[in-house]
Amino acid sequence: MEKISRYLLVFIAILTLAVILPKLYWMAFEKPVRKPFILYSCINDDFMIHRISEKTWEDTKGNPYTREEYEQKLPMMFLKQLLSSGTMPDSIKGIALDMRDITGAKSFFRLKVNEIDAPAPALYPLFESQSGRAMLDLPDDFFRITWRIDFIDAATNKVLEEKSQMFSGALYQKGFSFPAKKISGLATPRKSIDEGYLIMDSKDQLFHLKMIKGFPYVKKIDVPEDLKFRHISCVDFKNKDFYAYLFSDKNEIYILTQDDYKLIKWPIDGFEASNCDLKIWGDLFNYTVIIEAEDHIKTIALSPDYQVVNTYTENWKLKEEQTEGKIFASLFPAQVSMTSDNSKFIRFYFSLSKRLNWIFFNLLLFAIHFIWLYRRKAKFRNHLADLGMVAVCGIFGFIAIHFFQNKFFE
Amino acid sequence: MIECNNLTHYYGRKLVYENLNFHVREGSILGLLGKNGTGKTTTINILNGFLQPRNGECLIFGENTQHLSPQTKAKIGFLIEGHIQYSFMNIRQIEKFYSGFYPNWKPAPFWELMSKLNVTPMQKISTMSCGQRSQVALGLILAQDPDLLILDDFSMGLDPGYRRLFIDYLREYAKAENKTIFTTSHIIQDMERLIDDMLVLDFNGVLAQTSVNEFMGSFKRFDFVLENDKADLKKASFVVNLDKVKNKVELYTYSSESIVKKYLDDNNIKVSNFAQVKMELEDAFIGLTGKY
Amino acid sequence: MMWKSIVYKEWLKIRWFFVGYTLLGILGIGYLFLTVKHSFAFNGGKNTWNIVLFLGHQFFSPLKYVPLAGGLTIAIAQYFPETVNKRIKLTFHLPLGENKILLMMHAFGSISLLLSFLIFFGLFTGFSLIYFPVQMVADSLISIFPWFLAGFSAYFLVALIVLEPAWKFRLFYSLVGGFFLTIYYTSAVTAAYGPANTGLFVLTAFLSIALLFSAHRFRKGEM
Repeated sequence: MEKISRYLLVFIAILTLAVILPKLYWMAFEKPVRKPFILYSCINDDFMIHRISEKTWEDTKGNPYTREEYEQKLPMMFLKQLLSSGTMPDSIKGIALDMRDITGAKSFFRLKVNEIDAPAPALYPLFESQSGRAMLDLPDDFFRITWRIDFIDAATNKVLEEKSQMFSGALYQKGFSFPAKKISGLATPRKSIDEGYLIMDSKDQLFHLKMIKGFPYVKKIDVPEDLKFRHISCVDFKNKDFYAYLFSDKNEIYILTQDDYKLIKWPIDGFEASNCDLKIWGDLFNYTVIIEAEDHIKTIALSPDYQVVNTYTENWKLKEEQTEGKIFASLFPAQVSMTSDNSKFIRFYFSLSKRLNWIFFNLLLFAIHFIWLYRRKAKFRNHLADLGMVAVCGIFGFIAIHFFQNKFFE
Repeated sequence: MIECNNLTHYYGRKLVYENLNFHVREGSILGLLGKNGTGKTTTINILNGFLQPRNGECLIFGENTQHLSPQTKAKIGFLIEGHIQYSFMNIRQIEKFYSGFYPNWKPAPFWELMSKLNVTPMQKISTMSCGQRSQVALGLILAQDPDLLILDDFSMGLDPGYRRLFIDYLREYAKAENKTIFTTSHIIQDMERLIDDMLVLDFNGVLAQTSVNEFMGSFKRFDFVLENDKADLKKASFVVNLDKVKNKVELYTYSSESIVKKYLDDNNIKVSNFAQVKMELEDAFIGLTGKY
Repeated sequence: MMWKSIVYKEWLKIRWFFVGYTLLGILGIGYLFLTVKHSFAFNGGKNTWNIVLFLGHQFFSPLKYVPLAGGLTIAIAQYFPETVNKRIKLTFHLPLGENKILLMMHAFGSISLLLSFLIFFGLFTGFSLIYFPVQMVADSLISIFPWFLAGFSAYFLVALIVLEPAWKFRLFYSLVGGFFLTIYYTSAVTAAYGPANTGLFVLTAFLSIALLFSAHRFRKGEM
């Protein structure tokens, strides 16, 4: 039984070292990735690239710009600056510029990859969408959707029966299949208007739920049979063109238009929800979709009717491909981490080193341990498991079996 | 009852002893004597299962001391050096604790001993003196009534009064109930009162393994004064130890007086004031092992 | 029958620590819910729910190191007296298998700890259900579960470290143990530990017999 105790301790030591040593290594040697800041210029019909740490501004052809020249190419973004310096043009591409049109068309959307694989809130606030007031108030009750929709009063922690029954009935009538799989919406009162929630039921049907003057508004949205959404982000844009960005499990990006609930697919490829951050800038002339992956950034400019007008991609080396990464792969067979950049969940994330250079180091440690045993005249039969662990787990195994020694077990 | 075969042990690279063999007969009281560093503690630790010898084994009641069965452990009473006990307990608690383990527990001898101490049952052992603690330890052993007692330095830290009490109680108990005792101590005078047999270790191994009576009967000390203080006696085969200060000599040997005298005559060594000196066990021990 | 004596000895060692710790823990939980009650009274129920649900406020965070403190306290109270002057030799001399005795002692300490933790867990759940609906309470329980596992791991690791005879290895075990415990305390949003809790439970269970390793080394005469 002591033997089992030792092996369990060695296992835990190996696991701990596989978490700590790589972590310390990267803490010491990881270099930050200098991602460029890219926007689309409606003046140039080209992407403008700002390299923040180098303090340079250029276009995709490499032509340098001063900061002022750069901002001139991006009037939609630097409206305030150009107005104050008096360099704001009156029209672009023959379209006369109205300040209100410009500000009304502006939008920014951001989706970090870890927002998709994350715990969902337990309850949501359903705002009164036509309160008649300028600002939204947080409601007194929050809802959850299990076998029905429950509204629970926060102050008393009690279910509001009447309201719950009324809304449950409304959902049921529209064919809602309880419980809800996913509830998407903007749960904050800090928005210009409330558009309720987009809710996916247990059969993957999509519904729109709002509260209008205290009464339920439910609309079943037509979604094609084979279209399944992995994530839905509701938006609050001044232009009110669409309710949300929807991300299918085939990595397609859709928008859901307001009022007529049409699902329009954007011609974006190269987006992978499981490992890319997404930014979407909208303005009077374009939508600029920026996909940030681990080793590249891809920007796609769309026209106002969602056609691709330009794309640009920049690559860089993964940290595993850089010198520090190569040295890492020569030392450590793998890394275990409790966190991941791609998720908010805590798991045992195991990643094998991409190169196999560590095999040489493992063999070296194996030889060292072998000699160490030989010097002590140990019976090798009793140390086979230890030698195996050094061979497979390398430095982690080597340290573990020396911290928890195989003495007295012959 | 106790049997140790071919015991070999090292501390790191330093040899403690090699191929040590001894046994303890049932009903006898064996004392393990030796200077510090000769392996007394090592032997006790091996006997108690707290040390795995590099080679060899010890058997108690036929079982290897590394894996004593619970039944065998019930028959062994154990005293740790310094009379160490669970000092967070008081007398009542410690009696209650140990009584649960031994079906033949006899509370009477324990409480009898406790009544002789100036302590209340609620008194914590941590507040007791060394001597009082030794009484508690002794009382617990008597109450357990084991067949074999292993005592590691029973006299450490005790006043002469407590030491005498301990020894007298122990010897009377052992002889009356035919108990076997294996013990070590620094204080040879105490050992003399207690033990029947002795095992003497020095830095090279066993120096003597015999009954005390036999040893005291055969090991002798002769004192004399040399006329020529340069005379060298060390080569004499019968010399176990020789202590020479100027021309005064203390000679320790197993040989008879006549053999010694014959050697002196044969080698023309003139001596005066030749006399055999009667020894206590302590003198004999020092004579056997040397002053250094 | 003998286990009763063992339980008796272990209880004598830890009783005041156990009672003191449990009382302090209960007071701590009481204080925690006073702050919740205060928030409800001064900020309102909906605002309290809002910051918990959407602004990452973890109202249960004062509990974070409470189980760990318990594990450390009970382990030190139980095992430290055994190593002073190597008193554990007395225990090993008792007429029972050595591992059996150790596991009995360990089981007693673990059960005492479990009792304290169940009391805390129960009080916490009960109070939470007054103020929050069951889904929010479940999410907070998922978050505090690893902290309770860490309490057990700390207990198991301290026993291992205290019983180890050689100082060099005590240091090694402490390093590994300390870093290992950080796995239970990765900073995370509420309910994020869900997928990891089962694995953590298994690892904690693995450590439950760790002390047998250092006790074995002690009995083989490691210095």
